[in-house]
Amino acid sequence: MTIMPASGTPAPGQAPQTAPGQAPQTAPGQTAPAGHSRDRRGSPVPTAGMIASRVMELRKRRGLMTALIAVNIGFPALFMLIRLLLHAFAPRANQPAGNDIIFKILVAGFLPTFGFIMAATVGCTAGSRDLTEGMFRHLVVTGRSRLALYLARIPAGLAIVVPMVAVGYTIVCAVSVFAAPAFIDDSNVNIPPGLSRAGFENWAAGHAVPVICGLPYSGHVPGTVTCAGPAGWSKSAVTPGQPASAAVEALAVKIAKQDYSGQNGYTAIFRYPSNSLMIEAGLWIELDAAVGFILGLGLASLMGQRTGPIILIIVFQIIVTPILTGVVIPHLEDLQRSVVGLAMANLEPSGLPVGAALPGVTGGAGGPGSTLLPESATLAVGVVLAWLAGWTILGAWRMMTRDA
Amino acid sequence: MLLPRRRLDGTPGKLAADSRWAVQTHGLTKRFGAKTAVNGVELLVPRGSAFGYLGPNGAGKTTLIRVLLGLTHADAGTMSLLGYPVPRHRDAALARIGAIVDEPRFYGHLTGRQNLRLLAAAREPAARDRIGPALERVGLAHRADDRVSKYSMGMRQRLGVAACLLSDPQLLILDEPMNGLDPAGIAQIRDMILSLVAEGRTVVLSSHLLDEVERTCDAVAIVDRGSVIAQGPISELLAGAPVALVVECSEPGRARALLAGATLGARIEPAPSALGLEVTLPGGAGRDVIAEVNRVLVAGGISVYRLQPASTTLESWFLQVTSRLGDPE
Repeated sequence: MTIMPASGTPAPGQAPQTAPGQAPQTAPGQTAPAGHSRDRRGSPVPTAGMIASRVMELRKRRGLMTALIAVNIGFPALFMLIRLLLHAFAPRANQPAGNDIIFKILVAGFLPTFGFIMAATVGCTAGSRDLTEGMFRHLVVTGRSRLALYLARIPAGLAIVVPMVAVGYTIVCAVSVFAAPAFIDDSNVNIPPGLSRAGFENWAAGHAVPVICGLPYSGHVPGTVTCAGPAGWSKSAVTPGQPASAAVEALAVKIAKQDYSGQNGYTAIFRYPSNSLMIEAGLWIELDAAVGFILGLGLASLMGQRTGPIILIIVFQIIVTPILTGVVIPHLEDLQRSVVGLAMANLEPSGLPVGAALPGVTGGAGGPGSTLLPESATLAVGVVLAWLAGWTILGAWRMMTRDA
Repeated sequence: MLLPRRRLDGTPGKLAADSRWAVQTHGLTKRFGAKTAVNGVELLVPRGSAFGYLGPNGAGKTTLIRVLLGLTHADAGTMSLLGYPVPRHRDAALARIGAIVDEPRFYGHLTGRQNLRLLAAAREPAARDRIGPALERVGLAHRADDRVSKYSMGMRQRLGVAACLLSDPQLLILDEPMNGLDPAGIAQIRDMILSLVAEGRTVVLSSHLLDEVERTCDAVAIVDRGSVIAQGPISELLAGAPVALVVECSEPGRARALLAGATLGARIEPAPSALGLEVTLPGGAGRDVIAEVNRVLVAGGISVYRLQPASTTLESWFLQVTSRLGDPE
């Protein structure tokens, strides 16, 4: 039996034409496809086309995109819309939709918690679905570097996650600013904004009873002042003035002097968040989402599945992180400081509250009443970077070594 | 008779990179725990041919393909694709290779065209321009913008072939490409393979559809239990296969005794008809041996009514050689 190669020359017993392990001097297939000269498929750097096609692949997942839009954009937008409508139809009973407090609750609570989980879900999808859906083989057979195949997912996923988070956050900021109240709500006393100390005292004299009854005061209040309680507080307008005796006005001015400045004073209360806080909080939320995405991508690539890693990340974010960040465990403090949730909490802008409404959210280290395990900003940044790099390396390593 | 394995050189673990062969392997071995899925495979696939890779289920066909393509690593041995030693030059080799491994699966939520776009992005820039022609060639252009989740199995197979064509391949490795196809689809894939070979490309066709392989391929390798037990042009393999003779004669019982006493090395069994015998001659038996059968019978005073060699198909030969391996040693 003879096997004839294409050249028609019998093979058996022929001497090697090329040393073992070396590429042939003449390229096989001299009719190499056009474009091979620009072909850098061994490079670990993904091409723009690979990234764009990855974006398309993720963007076309309707269920994932629906969930992503609903959580990052839909829920905050709906919440704000309801507040806008309630105030529009019943302004006396409902505060204006936007204000400093609502902003802080959403930004320190809902957005980072669920933004992180949704970003991790996108990461888990990007890191595992080509395996479970059988496309990984096709991709490996292209000859493209597996590292490049992995790295292409990072900008692609972030190109979806980051804008989604940004849109939702922008809606919250916009409503907080443009639908902000016309007054400052200081302990249910609605005061005009921007008053000087003298102006504040003057305003207090004209609104002595609400000031005495509402604003914090540790001194003695004479029995001649009758407080009507919360019923007298308007949710939508500056508290109306009313005449009072000279003694009562003097007491109100005294209280105003005490409450003008200080941690919870008039000057510390805002109608809407400051520009610097919005910028800082926005960057922090985006970083949080990016960490979630990278963690999900790496973990899903490592485990080769999507559901398991998503459950692990939710448990980690909702249960494990709050425990490790809020409780000092003797002898394990350094280990606790290596948790990314604590690092992110310590990087939270100080203008945001600590431990807002949702579990898993701990708040800024510099914020009032912080209960976080202390960690320097440098260490926190280092921990975050280590998590980003570590999970990227783990995920890429698994992808490069896994059987397809 | 089993055909001898062809060796490239006498040094284990070394391989002569010879670009005249589309695929060369030497001592290629892949183990999964204690199970050896690919056992010292020596394979030579000539360029520009349609090469069948045959074996029963579980013989190690897909595993070998996965090893060749770098989907899993080999435990021992060397290999080259299109003359490029792999895994060292795998990216250069794969740039000119298209492959379907196992069942072709794609992202169901994307259209056929979008799936190809994703694969083309991982190849050279020119691959994107080949998407349309590839879809045309496999007859999927009219469904290219439907989601793959709505495709039939046959359509996915054709999409898999289209994916192979994105690389303008010099070598196509197709693992069971005719699975799930209707007769028209099989004929279409067969014609396509033949046209690809006519263009100077090499096609390695792994299949259990022996009839299709016989009609499509120039040469085959038979694999069983991870080892290549024979390879070469189909005509030569069949020429070396055992020859079956149907003999009709006047006294079958005495004829059987006469033939058994002769030194023909034949296996003789009664045929279903009362006057018949089935004589199986060793592989490579020529016309002179058949004539000798006739001579022995006539010399013994037996009237021979019919002496007819049964045609040997790839299927019958395949079943013989693979089932023989299953016999207890």
